[in-house]
Amino acid sequence: MGSFCEIQLFAESRIDAKKILSQLTEEVARLEKKYSRFRSDSFLTEINRSAGLKRGIDIDNETQSLLDHAKNCYETSEGLFDVTAAALSQIWDFKNAQIPTQAQIDAAQTTLGFHKISWADSRLRLPPDMQIDFGGIVKEYAADSVARLARNLGVNHGLVNLGGDFSVIGAQPDNRPWSTGIIAPDSEQGIMAKIDLLQGGLASSGDYERFFVHEGKRYSHILNPITGWPCAGLRAVSVAANLCTVAGSVATMAMLKDESVAKQWLLDSGLPHVYMDSRETVGGTGMNATS
Amino acid sequence: MTISSSVKKPPLAATAQPVAAAAATSAIVKNSASANIIALSSTALALPGIALADAPPTQSTVSYKLSNYQEDDLSRSEVPSGELNRYDIDVHQFQLVAPMGRNMSVHVDANYESLSGASPWFTTLGLDGKPVVNLSGASGISDNRSELSVGTRYYLDNGSFAGNIGYSEENDYRAVYFGLNGERHYNNDLTTLAGGFSYSSDDIFPTDAALFNRVRDEDKQSSSVFVSLTQIINQVSSFQSALSFTEQSGFLSDPYKLRDVRPEDKTQIAWSNSYRRFFVAANAALHVNYRFYHDDFGISSHTSDVSWHQNLGRQFQIVPQLRYYSQSAADFFTNVDDFLNPLSEYQSSDYRLSAFGAVSGGFSLIADMGSWKATLTAERYLANDKYSAYAVSQPSTALVKYNRLSLGVDFSF
Repeated sequence: MGSFCEIQLFAESRIDAKKILSQLTEEVARLEKKYSRFRSDSFLTEINRSAGLKRGIDIDNETQSLLDHAKNCYETSEGLFDVTAAALSQIWDFKNAQIPTQAQIDAAQTTLGFHKISWADSRLRLPPDMQIDFGGIVKEYAADSVARLARNLGVNHGLVNLGGDFSVIGAQPDNRPWSTGIIAPDSEQGIMAKIDLLQGGLASSGDYERFFVHEGKRYSHILNPITGWPCAGLRAVSVAANLCTVAGSVATMAMLKDESVAKQWLLDSGLPHVYMDSRETVGGTGMNATS
Repeated sequence: MTISSSVKKPPLAATAQPVAAAAATSAIVKNSASANIIALSSTALALPGIALADAPPTQSTVSYKLSNYQEDDLSRSEVPSGELNRYDIDVHQFQLVAPMGRNMSVHVDANYESLSGASPWFTTLGLDGKPVVNLSGASGISDNRSELSVGTRYYLDNGSFAGNIGYSEENDYRAVYFGLNGERHYNNDLTTLAGGFSYSSDDIFPTDAALFNRVRDEDKQSSSVFVSLTQIINQVSSFQSALSFTEQSGFLSDPYKLRDVRPEDKTQIAWSNSYRRFFVAANAALHVNYRFYHDDFGISSHTSDVSWHQNLGRQFQIVPQLRYYSQSAADFFTNVDDFLNPLSEYQSSDYRLSAFGAVSGGFSLIADMGSWKATLTAERYLANDKYSAYAVSQPSTALVKYNRLSLGVDFSF
């Protein structure tokens, strides 16, 4: 998945654990192979290649469900969380710290908009030049899927960590919750906060992975599909929810909203969360801050 | 700086598993003021890797259960002469369930029963004017029953369907049967609709038919359909309601009774309801069931039972259970056989067709050691016309009291 992945599980024997682990890694590999935007042989690449085809492309049940969830995210966020916004990230060059021209942004924006795509049952029609990127959904879904598979294989205690997206399988064997640390945006080592998990998942979103500073202004890799410009909201947010998939969607939406709106929205969600705002102040619910 | 926050919620215990499917959504509903999050959960929960749809077993399971069913002896005041010992039945049940490919499972069931004792043969009036019963056979009955059935279940994304066929044989009875059923989940798996059909063709060829002037070879057919709806109400409770309809035709009388003449058609309807609720603080689940039954022999019955599934740690569970049952009499029930009646008239002194009530109580102990699981069950059952919720105009002399004890062991591999 292009990031650090870790699966911890407790099984009755080492042989059992190895057998289970190989099935779990197979599931991660399956989803990566199917939905990676960077693999030329992935199904997602095949979908993106179908853009502009009048007859569309046949999609399976799993992809339909992912699109259903993406649609839900699009509607819930009033257009901010848009899996069709991939074209924007192609014109924003974070490696070379280049700001695209407004003309480039305007052109890219004509190729995005989730409302323009349609799928009926098993057939998806993608308008010309439109691309889908399940980032913010698929890795989180993979964490939940692996946890669910592990439970089906008889695992009662385990932790799945796919590049900072966590899904837990029960508590730790001694019934203690899993303690997940959230890394501060500016430090590779510093732990910004801790969230204890007994069930469900935790996902994070932040601009610490990719951003650039141009003329003193910080440009986040999280792009607002409505303006076409990087978001200037929260620096990082981590959310715990019943599912890692839900946590990931909420975290992504919080990053896309204006800072003050995002803080209130997170509070209203009732979900445990931790954020760092643009002034590098850490906040969130249910925290015992000791500095 | 250390910041910590927690999402503590006790994990649901094994007993509440049918309910656990709802846990994810309602945890959100409970904790959240935001309808947005509920909406997000609904599509996330529908993703195939997450959806808690039926899944085929990933392991094979072998089960063995030994049960003993022992009816209390009757007393001399009830049986003036002959046998007092009633049925004593030992049952051995074997089952193998195994996955077959990714979407299928197969199961094989084999049962063996050995039965000894005696059953009511005829009833007459005793010297004091009260009905008395005579049990069959000077040395009682001895019979064995063997049964084999195989079945398969195919799992889909949002449900499953299954079929089975079986064969059962005794000295004097043979049955061939099959069944088909399916279920489908809706509403993010919070609602399950199930339905099915089964058919059985039975042959009856009583022993010593010539000696006792019994029927020689008779048959009967049964067809049954059912439909059920299961709704997960919230994180900790669920409700199920089921309706079944059975039509029987053919020889429905008891060939071993001296005088037993029943209609050749019988229509039965049953409505069953069950409610389950898990109590987090007690780490236990309450199961409450109620069933109403009616048939056109004239019998109506009510069954209510309640059980408490108490988890003791992660490995043990104790389940006390109480049940109350009451039925009305069949239209043609008589507690004293009338041998002057023409044979064309329906009549039966079978205690199972009388008006009576019954209470039973028992408990199960379950030990779950991962790949091994053992279940011990004990039950005491008492039927009495005095327990009846219906008026009893003719009490039966032959109502049963029994003990049932069973020990089962499951091994998964």
